[in-house]
Amino acid sequence: MILAGVLLLVALVLPGLPLGQWRAFMLDAAQFAFLISGLALAWDLLARTGQLSLAHGAFFGLGAYAAALSAPALGTIPALLLGGATASLSSLLLGLATLRLQGMYFAIATLAFSEVMRTLVLKSQFTGGSIGLPVQPAFAGAYPLGGYYLAVALLIICTLVSLLLSRSRLHYAMAATRQGEAVARVLGVSVVRVKLVTFTISAFLAGLAGGVYAMKTLFLSPYDAFGLGRAVEALVIPIFGGLYTTTGPLLGGLIIVSLETWLRLRIGEGYLVVYGVILVLTILFLPKGLMSLFARQKGARHA
Amino acid sequence: MELLLQTLINGILAAGIYALVASGLALAVGVVGIVNFAHGEFSMIGAFVSYLLFVSAGIDPLISLGLAALVLFSVGAITYYGLIRPVLAAPELNQMLLTFGISVALQNIALLVFGADTRVVSTSYQGSTIALGSISFGVPPFAAFVLSVALLGALYWFLGKTRLGFAVRAVAQNRLAPGLLGIETQQIYLLAFGLSAALAGVAGVMLSVMLYASPTVGFAYTLKAFAIIVMAGLGNLRGVVPAAIILALAEAVVSTYVPGGGGWVEAVFFLVIFVALTWRSWRVR
Amino acid sequence: MKKVLVVLLAVLGLAGLALAQTTVRVGVLLPISTVAGKAALNGVQLGVDQVNAGGKVKIELVVVDDGNAPAAAVPALTKLMTVDRVDIVIGGLASGVTFALSGPVKQYNPLFLCIGAASSVVEQAFSDYGRFFHYHPWDYHNVAAALGFFKALYDEGARRVAILYEDGPFGSAGIQTYRQQLQNQGYTVQAEPFKSGSGSFTAILTRFKSFRPDILYWIGYDVDALPIAAQTRQVGLEPKLIYGAPPAWPLGFEKNSLSNDVAGMTAWLPSVSNSESRRFVTLYRRKYGEVTDEYMAPMGYVIALSLGRAVEAANSTDKDRIAAELAKVQMDTPFGPLAFKPSDTGRTRFQGFNQSIWLQFQYLEGSRRPVFPANRAARPLRFPGNY
Repeated sequence: MILAGVLLLVALVLPGLPLGQWRAFMLDAAQFAFLISGLALAWDLLARTGQLSLAHGAFFGLGAYAAALSAPALGTIPALLLGGATASLSSLLLGLATLRLQGMYFAIATLAFSEVMRTLVLKSQFTGGSIGLPVQPAFAGAYPLGGYYLAVALLIICTLVSLLLSRSRLHYAMAATRQGEAVARVLGVSVVRVKLVTFTISAFLAGLAGGVYAMKTLFLSPYDAFGLGRAVEALVIPIFGGLYTTTGPLLGGLIIVSLETWLRLRIGEGYLVVYGVILVLTILFLPKGLMSLFARQKGARHA
Repeated sequence: MELLLQTLINGILAAGIYALVASGLALAVGVVGIVNFAHGEFSMIGAFVSYLLFVSAGIDPLISLGLAALVLFSVGAITYYGLIRPVLAAPELNQMLLTFGISVALQNIALLVFGADTRVVSTSYQGSTIALGSISFGVPPFAAFVLSVALLGALYWFLGKTRLGFAVRAVAQNRLAPGLLGIETQQIYLLAFGLSAALAGVAGVMLSVMLYASPTVGFAYTLKAFAIIVMAGLGNLRGVVPAAIILALAEAVVSTYVPGGGGWVEAVFFLVIFVALTWRSWRVR
Repeated sequence: MKKVLVVLLAVLGLAGLALAQTTVRVGVLLPISTVAGKAALNGVQLGVDQVNAGGKVKIELVVVDDGNAPAAAVPALTKLMTVDRVDIVIGGLASGVTFALSGPVKQYNPLFLCIGAASSVVEQAFSDYGRFFHYHPWDYHNVAAALGFFKALYDEGARRVAILYEDGPFGSAGIQTYRQQLQNQGYTVQAEPFKSGSGSFTAILTRFKSFRPDILYWIGYDVDALPIAAQTRQVGLEPKLIYGAPPAWPLGFEKNSLSNDVAGMTAWLPSVSNSESRRFVTLYRRKYGEVTDEYMAPMGYVIALSLGRAVEAANSTDKDRIAAELAKVQMDTPFGPLAFKPSDTGRTRFQGFNQSIWLQFQYLEGSRRPVFPANRAARPLRFPGNY
């Protein structure tokens, strides 16, 4: 937990640090890292109930488009909230439909949902269709660091929600649901409520992240916004960092994105091979993710 | 009426390759219990084997089928032994991440070695057509269909009628019991995973003839293969073929009868999966 | 005294020579892992080698991969501008990525030499930016070139066009314009979308059968070329011409008998007869050991050469002086003559090539031959084609 706090602190003060000529580049790369880590934290929330979602790419995309379309009329913050709400609403519907699906079945159903969503956005005219949608920068570009701090705010929100949930009573209900729904029900857990509530919270955060992303890249296309690659990354990061924890997805996300960026700069062509190999090695030698390195020192306490 | 017939034929022929790729995946998931994200890359390797043999030695892909199957069986066996076996006991998510890492590594190695170019082979029968009355279909899709049927038939015969096949099915149904009965599960896993890769490789050779060879050729089919086996039911090896046919027919009907349907085909595919999964889940009490 | 003078003159002369060589650092931001990006990079490097060999100008390249996505390209540009501190950037191949780059470009103000990005969405984004030199034709130029070809086909008796377009931004961008303009020319048009890479066209092509099109026009990617050619025959569609407009064609397609008589549009072929093109092909083969079909390679080459000329004329490393000289550059290139003018819509000031660089080719007997326009044709167009 202390680690999480330190990371967030660093994120907050990064613009002020003496980074010399690397400052602008690092701030830029950091924003994308924060957004993906936030998405990973959101995914991890849902994973705690045993629901392995491949729809987070869709929630991200829905949030991005909703925020982008409503920002001119509503302003930056309300648009972002609307993006989150749109994602939440869709997740509620999806959650209701898939209540009885588990494991791989649930995953594929969410994947199917994601692909259908992408095609719908692709075919609609008002979303700019396949050509794409230009997006206004955050706060109409009035604050030079506005986009950066929005990303930091998102990361902080996701971390806090993840932390609070893991300290709340809901945490036990989620764990019980994950370990066996039938048993959980017998124990008095309202499984339906737990799953749906977690789903909507998780999707809301994903939608928020999408909105901030849209305002950073200034251009949305269905292939980019609803990319399957992002949904998979949202899944890879918590596994790499440590499932069902807060620091795991946070640290894992920052490390993985930084690793990817650094590899791309250093190695250029073929950097993804190294990336793939590192993933494989991590699973073979650190099966519980990065957090297992810390847990051995401290005992079994999750943070 | 003849349009309907043509559409149905198109759908059934397309189902051949879908079923082949999905069956390979079903073996990996159902028997070994591993969600193999690298399955498409096995197909990709098969496609490149076919392309390279064709370009360097002029060998027709039909003949490379056997070689590709052998190559991929070895690749699958090695992958299983070196990378999969250590994580068999690990949580499902870890296995998924491992195979995902393998998939990324394989795809990008191919990218490095071959470049991103799309490559095509040239066979004499690529454009040939078989015409039965007013219905016509191409020779490569027909050959792929016949081959798929033959291979799947052989697979089901193997699973249903041979002792080894029984062992494989036993392991698929219950991982512990066969060990008690003296069946070497490790060897079965190796066999199943190798077979899975071989099937993918054969499908890849067919893809190289009908489509192209490139580092990304396997991906789209993997996605659909996952959807098909889930629709059939995980571990249900028999259900793969009907599921593949239903989905391929749905695709064919939509692209023929819905104006502008070409763009909706993917969505329809996944919509059918979604509806099937959720409807089935609500029916089972 | 005389000796001192001679030495002084010698020293001054040497200093003058050294001063006369202007060294500029140029950032290159391309999707290196794609075929077009790699070709573009090769072309740029070839051009830079030539410029440097001339002795008057030395260009140092800083190459960064733009990852073919905004999330990678934007930080990459930031790095070029703030860490490597370049004043000139060659990049912008994919339209979506270039659009996303417009923000940081306007923030850091480099001299931006854009190698690709045909979408007019990009033209709009850069319309208020003065240091934007766009070499590649815009999408409306592409459409105009294709329409010119269609008009010639109309004169040969073609009346019905079936359009097959991929449903992404590349295929869908001009589809309404094409429909409209073709109908204005007197054609009857039917258009259908498809998912690129899916390989299944039999259904759509079967539907086109009752329409009996004279021309089957498909807008997609290299992965669609073979399936479309094969399935057109399998379905028994029998158009008079299969005309494809992908950004690139698959390797080995020309050796495949299915490619015979298929027509396409490109900016350049290695077999083009102008002397600049032949020189480029020779140099490229000498450096890389092969001949490339990708027109992005000579495009990169042209950018490097034109930049070299501009730097030499400006005799300075100041980006605005270089820009001013670049605006005046007139040179012969593998594509034809290059000169910068305001774009047709007036939105940007420095547009390099227009629709005149496009040529239509046909696969004839295993290689691609220019067939249109007539003044650049190596062979006559075979219409109707034998499919």
